[in-house]
This record gives sequence, structure tokens and C-alpha cells, in this order.
Amino acid sequence: MQPGHFPANILFVLIFLAANGFFLFTVYKLYRIMRLGEPEDRFDRTWERLKGVATFVLGQRRVVNEPAGWGHFFIFWGFVIITIGSIETFGVGIYHGFAYWKFLGKGVTSVLYLLQDLLCFAVVVALFVALYRRFVIKPDRLLYDDQRAANLDASVIIGLILFLVLLLLGARAVEYLLGQNEATRYFPKWAFISVALADLFKGLSEEALHGWYSFFWWSHTLIILVFLVYIPFSKHLHILGAIPNVFFRRFSSIGELAKMDLEDESAETFGVSKIEEFTWKQLLDLYACTECGRCSENCPATLTGKPLSPKLTIHHLREHLQKKGKALLAQHGREEAEALNPEGELGRALVGEICQHDELWSCTTCGNCMEHCPVFIEHIHKYVDMRRYLVLMESSFPAEVQNVMRNWETNSNPWGLGFASRGDWAKGLPVKTLAEDSQVEYLFYVGCAGSFDERAKKISGAMVKLLNEAGVSFAILGAEEKCCGETARRLGNEYLFQTMAAELVETINSYGVQKIVTTCPHGYNCLKNEYPQFGVSWEVYHHSEFLAKLQRDGRLQTKLAMDKHLVFHDSCYLGRYNSIYDQPRTLLRSISGLRFSEMDRSRNKSFCCGAGGGRMWMEETLGDRKINEARTEQALALEPDIIGVSCPFCTTMFEDGIKDRNMEEEVKVYDIAELLAQTINSEKK
Amino acid sequence: MNVVVLLKQVPDTETKIRISGDGKSIDTSDIKWIMNPYDEYAVEAALRLQGSAGAKVTILSMGPERVVESIRTALAMGADQGVLVDDPGTEGSDALGKAQVLAAALRSLEFDLVFCGHRAVDDDENQVGIMVAELLGIPHLGLAVSVEIEDGKVKIQRPIEGARVTLEGVLPALVTFGGAHAVWNPRYASLPGIMKAKKKPLETKTIADLGLAPEDVGVQAAKVKVTAMELPAERQAGRKLEGETADKAKELVRLLHEEAKVI
Repeated sequence: MQPGHFPANILFVLIFLAANGFFLFTVYKLYRIMRLGEPEDRFDRTWERLKGVATFVLGQRRVVNEPAGWGHFFIFWGFVIITIGSIETFGVGIYHGFAYWKFLGKGVTSVLYLLQDLLCFAVVVALFVALYRRFVIKPDRLLYDDQRAANLDASVIIGLILFLVLLLLGARAVEYLLGQNEATRYFPKWAFISVALADLFKGLSEEALHGWYSFFWWSHTLIILVFLVYIPFSKHLHILGAIPNVFFRRFSSIGELAKMDLEDESAETFGVSKIEEFTWKQLLDLYACTECGRCSENCPATLTGKPLSPKLTIHHLREHLQKKGKALLAQHGREEAEALNPEGELGRALVGEICQHDELWSCTTCGNCMEHCPVFIEHIHKYVDMRRYLVLMESSFPAEVQNVMRNWETNSNPWGLGFASRGDWAKGLPVKTLAEDSQVEYLFYVGCAGSFDERAKKISGAMVKLLNEAGVSFAILGAEEKCCGETARRLGNEYLFQTMAAELVETINSYGVQKIVTTCPHGYNCLKNEYPQFGVSWEVYHHSEFLAKLQRDGRLQTKLAMDKHLVFHDSCYLGRYNSIYDQPRTLLRSISGLRFSEMDRSRNKSFCCGAGGGRMWMEETLGDRKINEARTEQALALEPDIIGVSCPFCTTMFEDGIKDRNMEEEVKVYDIAELLAQTINSEKK
Repeated sequence: MNVVVLLKQVPDTETKIRISGDGKSIDTSDIKWIMNPYDEYAVEAALRLQGSAGAKVTILSMGPERVVESIRTALAMGADQGVLVDDPGTEGSDALGKAQVLAAALRSLEFDLVFCGHRAVDDDENQVGIMVAELLGIPHLGLAVSVEIEDGKVKIQRPIEGARVTLEGVLPALVTFGGAHAVWNPRYASLPGIMKAKKKPLETKTIADLGLAPEDVGVQAAKVKVTAMELPAERQAGRKLEGETADKAKELVRLLHEEAKVI
């Protein structure tokens, strides 16, 4: 059955069409399943999207952030180059005389063949590294609830690629030998690996060589087609899902949750309780995942033994989507389908079965999963969408959260302290309220912690001292200030959030202030990235960037030295959410004598303190240990005198962690504002 | 089965209370009003009967228009309808006056059970519920921490010192509720609940509608009057004694004796 000769070419074309037809049919079905999702507009900024594909797909920018990613880099490029070669291979299958060099010239073909040889070699090495990782090193991030199925899937894929590549090299080697005798053939000598392998077949008869060539060609080609058919059923579906997923990635801050339309009288349900209630992009996320596990490897919940692993969430969601989607498509209409299949996948609850309640409530929304996902999967927004369903429809949430929600409702702060005492922290401090003087440049939005929490009040005081020192024209809202609603929103209580947001917008707008500075990264993110949903366009600064700017302008100088060793902890909502990493460090480095250390997990790998996403207000009873304990331990390992923070919630979590270890005498936790205030030695208070 | 819940709107417990100029009442400006927590337990208990026995739950309250917000909260939790007696003439009523208004309103409603908190957390009078039962001539079962309906009778449990007593009463009856938030865990309104609450019937009545004469209620009819109100003394900041232990002990004794005058 020499390839490209009658009747082998007819047979090949039939197999080729069958495999491709089946593949396209499967992919079309996946597409239709994805389209069951709700609409979402991700069609803007095409050029930037294309650039994203260049960087993150072709350049594998996020993949190679990890050493293991380099293996993928070579497999990916091997795949691309071999696929270019496959077109020639398929051409040969139709007509034996088909060859690239006849179209592209011998020079280009030589380069292509050389590249193919090199990448085939790199792929083989990378595959063995992959096998070694999976079966010998067994890193945590490759763990599954069904390890056997996952290993089998991975082995099938690795095996197929390995044989595909080896058989290609075999075919090339024989082609080289045949090319030397047949004038109609040309084989570039640059493909030195193929040429070297040809030694294995030297001395064989022409007939035997043709036999070997047929064997290699057919087996290589068939494996490609098997691979093609297998892909959509495996986690290697990411080959198809990742590219569009990178293209359609989110440009807005990960800190911006979608605004729900709560006025919609026709809405029967709120939040997501069925897989098809996610948007099509959220469903595309599921196709894009190849379960590399970087999300879970960086997840504070996973790492402290909570019943949450972002990788497994995505894995379970995809399995559910594929089964349920198929069932939905098979029936005439959704309602009928559910009536017909109550026991099967259609009858399985998304919230409570596919995703467990504890899983959803374990997320701190720290964003480490999204930050490290090479294909831009958006985990947090899915968790919040499902929380929204639980809170808005079922009134179901951890019991301790109910009190907090009531506290927000009655007193606009999570502690439930009287709203009228909100401005009491500033008694006796040189600070005006907007009611006293609205002609100021900046509003210092203090936030709930800064107003009510005894510890955080000191940060507010330090901030006042610094703003006065720098001669900033500012005021606070005092008792008029309201909670920004950030945490309520992350807990899924969009109704409460929107109510609070409307009140705060009205209060601030009544004074016409346009510039806001705040010491709380959560309020900062919310006011900056989410409040534009309510028609405002304030300039919002976190105090770290604001103080850094004052310092740059020469308005704030540190005078006193501080002979201490400091470890700085990045707040998630400042760092990953808003890319503020350098400003707090610049401020701290301006303090002379202060020695500065970084944890392994710092900057965009920073490990959450455990308070985000409303976790501050929940008991932490699950898992092997508390998140703040784990983080405090990471910081204490560097033996600091001071843990520097930039968030009132991080302050609480670290102080609790330190108290648990009875080290509050040796190690202090300070906000950057407090450290600066200690070193400016101002006469002004 | 019809359950009517008597609901009072009270200042939030965290409110900074200020005495108004007359020295007999509180300044009601700048107050966040909430549903009396014990009445909220009563609402929760009624809604459980709604779920288990299909009871129809009516919220009955008296007071100015702001009270509508608390009634809507109960409706959002799941109550079926609301009635508010909104009449300036009722202002200054004592407990008996209030009970008369509520009893008159109840006579215009169908009920098998009347639920309410055993007291309101604002003036802590512990009277209105019991008086309403008396005026209506129905049994009163007080301080319930559980309630069920069995064979046309109401059965409640009340904690007593170190034990629990079970009471049974014939219908119609009035039950007042005790316990704590953790006992009742009143439900949190869902969003559809909040949206539906906006459309649920809420009737406003005057004392004339109830057939009461103006002289029957309000400050002129009150047999008990508030004569003065004062705030507790402001708490002083704590003091930390420094020095040797023996000196500190001596100083402590001196302070307790001379300043605090407790020993």
C-alpha cells in the first residue's frame, strides 16, 4: 500500500475525510454546547486581543513562568511545525509526487525540515520529562480526585505524541535514503537527525525501504488522525479551547464583578444555579483548561486543605457541561429535557452537587488562580456567580454571615457598631469633615475598618498625620460615611451591595469631590473598578500610591532612621487586582536603616492573608490549618522585626497569626502609613 | 389557619440614644429603625407554620409611616400581608392604650393565633402582648422558644430555671416569644422575596377605622406616663497601675475605697 498510489490514496482520502468529519462534528457539538451559555460581549479591541494571542499562545508567556512550562513550550512549537509538515504528509497520501520543495524551493524546505528535526527531538525529551513529572515526581498540582482516569488520559496523549514523532522521524530517515536514489525525490541534508537515523536502515533493498516507508507513513498518519478524533474527549481539548480563550480574555480588572440587573421584573432567578446560566465565555474557559494545576498550586484554600481546588472545580464543571449540554441538545427544549431526564446529569444540581457549598465559600477571591492561569480562565467570577445564587435565591450562607449582612443593613459596617459613631476615631485629630469644608481636593475615604476597628483606627490616624505633613487639602465624611459594600458583593449579596453603593455615591456626589484616597485596598478596588458601574468617574488612590507620589514630589520626607528588619506582604487587592507592587516598596525603602526582605510568595505570587472574599467574617473551621497561620509562618521564617502591610484586614490576620504563636513582643505588624508616620518626626500631629 | 404577628419598630440596639428637650422622650432624628428582635422571632415562628401548616401570616403594627419599612421586611421574609395603624392620635399611648388599638385591629382580622415578642427592646415594658390577650379574652402562652400546632391546640415550650416547661392552649391564643437569635435564626429575605414584598397588600388604618374614639387612646388616655428619662453615666477609661506589685496592690485598695467607694 504505497502512499499516494492508487488505491491507497482512495483509502487514505476516505479515512482522512471520516476522521475530519467526525472531528468537526464533535467540535461543532462542543460549540453548540458553549452557545447554550448566556451572552457576553468580548468582541471589542480586536487588535489587542490578537496581540494577546501572539504573546500568550505563540509566545507561551505565562506557560514558561514555571520551569515545567518550557517542556510545553517545545511540545507546542513542535506541534505547530509538525502540523505544517503534516500538510505535506497528507498531500503525499493523495498523490505520491507531492512535495514542499517543488513549491517552496529547496532553501525554505531545508529550514523547515531542520526545524522539524530539532523540534521532534525537543518534543521527545519534553515528553519524557512530562512522564517523569507525572509518574515519579508527582507534584501536588497534578493530583486529582480520580487519579487513574487523569493519568490514563495524560498517558494516552503523551503516548500518541511520542509515537507520532518517532514514526515521523522514521519516515524521514527512510525518505532520505530513498531520495539519494530517486531523482524525483529531494531530501534536505540539513535535517541531520533524520540523516543520522538513516544509518539504521542502510543496506536495505529498495523494496524493503519502500516497505518501511509505507509502514512509517501509514502509522504516523493514522496516529495523527486518531489524535484528532481523541482530542475533543480529553483534557487536551485545550488545544482548541485555549487560543479563543486567550483571544476573548478579560481586559477589565479582575476586581470588577459584573453588575447584575436587579430591576429586571421578568427575571425568575438570580446568580448561577445551572451550568447554562454561565456566559458562553465562562463555558469556553472550561474547554481551555488543560488541568496544569497552577491555580491550585497557588490557591491559599487548596494549600491549607480546604475543600476547594480551582483546578478540580473547572474539571468538574467541564465534565458536567459536556454531559448536561449533550442531553440538553438532544432534546427539543430545555424544559422537556429536564422532565425527561430527572435522574441523569440534567437532574444534578450545579450548586450543592457539582460544586459543594463549602467549596464556594472557601474562596478568598485572592486571584492567585487567575493570575497564574496560562489560558486566562476566570475562576473567581464563577464562584461569586454561584454565591449570588445561594444568597439571593436561597438565602443560604454560613450562619455567621447573616449577622454581618444585617449589620451592614442597619449600620453600614460589618461590626454592627452604631453608624453615628463612624467618625469618632477622628475626635481630637486635625481633620475636617466635608460637611465642615467641602472645598477640599481629596476625600479621605476611611472605610469600615479604619473607622471602627481599634487597630485600624491607628492606621487612619497615621494617614491623617501624613496628609497634614504633606499639606494635602483633604477631608473625611465622618459619620456620614457609608460602607462601600465590597465585601457584601463578594459574598454574593449583590442586592445589598447595590443598595450601599447607591447611598455612598449619593453622599460623595453631594459634595462634588472627585478625588479619593483610601487606606483599604478592598474599598480602593471597589471604588476604582466597580463604582464606575454606577455612573461615577472618581480618581481613586490607594494610600501606598498616593504617599509614594507625595514623596516623589518632595512633599513627604522620612527623617528618622529605623534599625529594623522588615518583610513586606502584598495585599491581593492591591497587587494582583491593581498591579500596585512597587509603590509600597519604594516608600519602605526610603526609610533609612530599614532592612527589607521578600518572601518566596511575594508580589504577584503573594499568598492571601485569608481575609478576602468575605472570609474575614466567616469561621475558618475546615482544612488542616488556617490561612493566616500559614502566611504568618512564611513571614516569620525570615525572622523579621516588622511585617509590613498595606491593608487593615491583612493587619488583623497577621496580628492574630502572631498572637497564636505568642510572638507579639518580638514581631510587630505595621501598615506602611504607620511606618512612614513614625519616621517623619513631624511637629504637626 | 391565620396567624397575626404583632410587630413593633424599635431603634437599632447600636443607636446612640439622645434624650430630647422635654427630658421624657428620645430624640428620634438620626435613628436607624429595625424590627424588634423578639417580634422577628415571632415572624419566623409564624413563617414556619406557613411552611408546615399552610398558615396565612398577617403582620400588624402601629406607628408612623416609617414602620412600613419593617412591615415590608417581614413581607420580604415571606409574610402574606400587612396592616398598619397609622394615626397621630395614638402617640403617647401607654401599654394599655397600645394594646387597645391592637386588639381593636385584631377584631377586624381573622386569626387563630396571635404571635408577638414578649417585649420590645426599646422600652422593655413586657406588657402589650399579655394585655392584648386579655382584651380579646384569649389564652396567653408566654416566652415560647418553640411552637407547634397539634389537634387544634397550640403547644409551646418555655425555658425555666434549669428546665423546660411545655404548655398547651386552645385556639385562638396569643403566644409571646422569647429565646435568642441563635434559637430562632430568623430567615434572611431572598431577592425574589424582597421583590414580591413590594407588591403584597399593606393596608393602613386610622383609629376611626377601628371604631375607637380619639379619647380612648393617645397621651390623654394614658394611665401610665413617662416622667423622666436619663442616660447612664458615661463610662470612664480604664486605668493601668504601674510600679511594684506591693505598691500596686496598696494603690488599688486605696482607689477602690476612696474613689470607687466599693470597699
